[in-house]
Amino acid sequence: MAEAIQKKLQSELEKYQQLQKDVSKSMSARQKLEAQLTENNIVKEELALLDIQNTVYKLIGPVLVKQDLDEAKATVSKRLEYINGEIQRYETLLKEMERKSEQHREVLSSLQHVNIFCFEMPQAADM
Amino acid sequence: MTYLHDQMASTGKVKRSKDLPQGAERLKEEHRKVVKDCRSQIEHWNKVEKDYESLQDRLRTLPDKLSYDIMVPFGPLAFMPGKLVHTNELTVLLGDNWFAKCSAKQADTLVEHRKKHVKNALDDLQKVMKNFQNKDDFTDDLEKLAGDTEDFVDIREEVINEEEFTKGKRLAHKPNSKPKQEYLSDLEEDTEKKEGDEERTTGLLSEEELWARLDELECEEELQDERYRHAVRINTGKNTTLKFSERNEQKVQAKRKKKSGKSNGLSPHESYKITSPADIYRVFVDLVNGEPIPRKSILKSRSRENSVCSDTSESSTADFEERRAAFGRSWSHDDATHSDTSDGITEEESPTGTSPRTNGRFEAFTGTVIEKEPLPCSIPYLTIAPPALPTIPERKLEEVGPEALQEPPKRMSKFKATRLHQT
Repeated sequence: MAEAIQKKLQSELEKYQQLQKDVSKSMSARQKLEAQLTENNIVKEELALLDIQNTVYKLIGPVLVKQDLDEAKATVSKRLEYINGEIQRYETLLKEMERKSEQHREVLSSLQHVNIFCFEMPQAADM
Repeated sequence: MTYLHDQMASTGKVKRSKDLPQGAERLKEEHRKVVKDCRSQIEHWNKVEKDYESLQDRLRTLPDKLSYDIMVPFGPLAFMPGKLVHTNELTVLLGDNWFAKCSAKQADTLVEHRKKHVKNALDDLQKVMKNFQNKDDFTDDLEKLAGDTEDFVDIREEVINEEEFTKGKRLAHKPNSKPKQEYLSDLEEDTEKKEGDEERTTGLLSEEELWARLDELECEEELQDERYRHAVRINTGKNTTLKFSERNEQKVQAKRKKKSGKSNGLSPHESYKITSPADIYRVFVDLVNGEPIPRKSILKSRSRENSVCSDTSESSTADFEERRAAFGRSWSHDDATHSDTSDGITEEESPTGTSPRTNGRFEAFTGTVIEKEPLPCSIPYLTIAPPALPTIPERKLEEVGPEALQEPPKRMSKFKATRLHQT
């Protein structure tokens, strides 16, 4: 009985660890997105500072491609929106994962209790 | 200070837990970590700001000349002499792979704009650092406060469960415990007045005789108690408990004498055992004209007893008067032996005929006994029974035999008597 519980505990633990990894991955992705967000904001502001005379280039691979200022502004705005949306998505994902991990945590703790109960009691009895 | 702490801890009352300094330490550690992080970040941003400032300087000086002679880096290892031309034309990286061609001045503006961002970040970091620094100081203060026995003390009391439960044991009142003394003390005072004269003449017995008398009474009472262990339902409350009370009083008086003579530590209530609910009624007796009268209800006061509340009470008062007279006569007699059977049987037939019988004998029971089931009386809610008694059902088993004969006649008597009286 104790072994079965131990096995169960192990599997639950593994699941929980996997979940934790996923959570951390999502967290880092979200952080990256946050950085991109700030960057694009700065770009937007600086583009606003420029006038039409300045030519704007976009680096695509090794090539600097000339862009229109307005086009550039639009592109940047779109990118910003996209980034915001991505952040939202990651937020919900993280919440979901957090909830699941919480459940797993509870299961783990209950298993631990049972484990202690029927594992250490016989040990104590043996002693 | 630690010595004081230990002292307080040892008493067990004020808990000087080790958690507090440990927790505080941990907290302070965390604070320090955050502050360190903040500091490093501030350093970084400061560097960035410096860089931007030097860049600005370059930008301002760059358009001064049309071209500059420089050593141009050729790959990672070589340089070549060259010239820097178009000094006003700059391609600025805006971020996220966006570039813009602008003049030096425009670049300057951009740099200025970026510096604003850096300054914002720096300000935020400074705020955070300050916050955590304050928290750190506060925890320091808190620790000091908590540690200080002078100003403030975190009062904590550990609940030592076992101690509390075993110290003040909640015992059920033993029959000889105080509460009863109160009730009977009045009794003693009252009876003393009336009986004092009567008793004094015959009461001048020797101590040994008193002791003997007392022992007899005790045996008697035990017998009594055994027999009337089952609950007595008292309809009027007056008749049935009279005997108990009187007998009790006698005992009390004897004991009182004994007490006055010997002044031993015994309380007059030691023979006064409450082992059934009926015994309680014994306790609650009033005195009317110096005679003890059992109360109709232990909750009611005496004043109501004289009022006419029911038919049965009238008849019973009639009985009662006669009995009282009889008892009054026999008050002075001391007699050890006593028969229950005679009481029940004879009384129902003629109340007046009680007097010859009561010569020297206090009947334990003047009324009728209405048997109840064993179960209800084993759960007495008013009983102040000592815990060490055998259970009532057990006792009942003992007494069922001898009393079987007595019961039928007794059961009929009360109602019949009252009915007879009424009709």
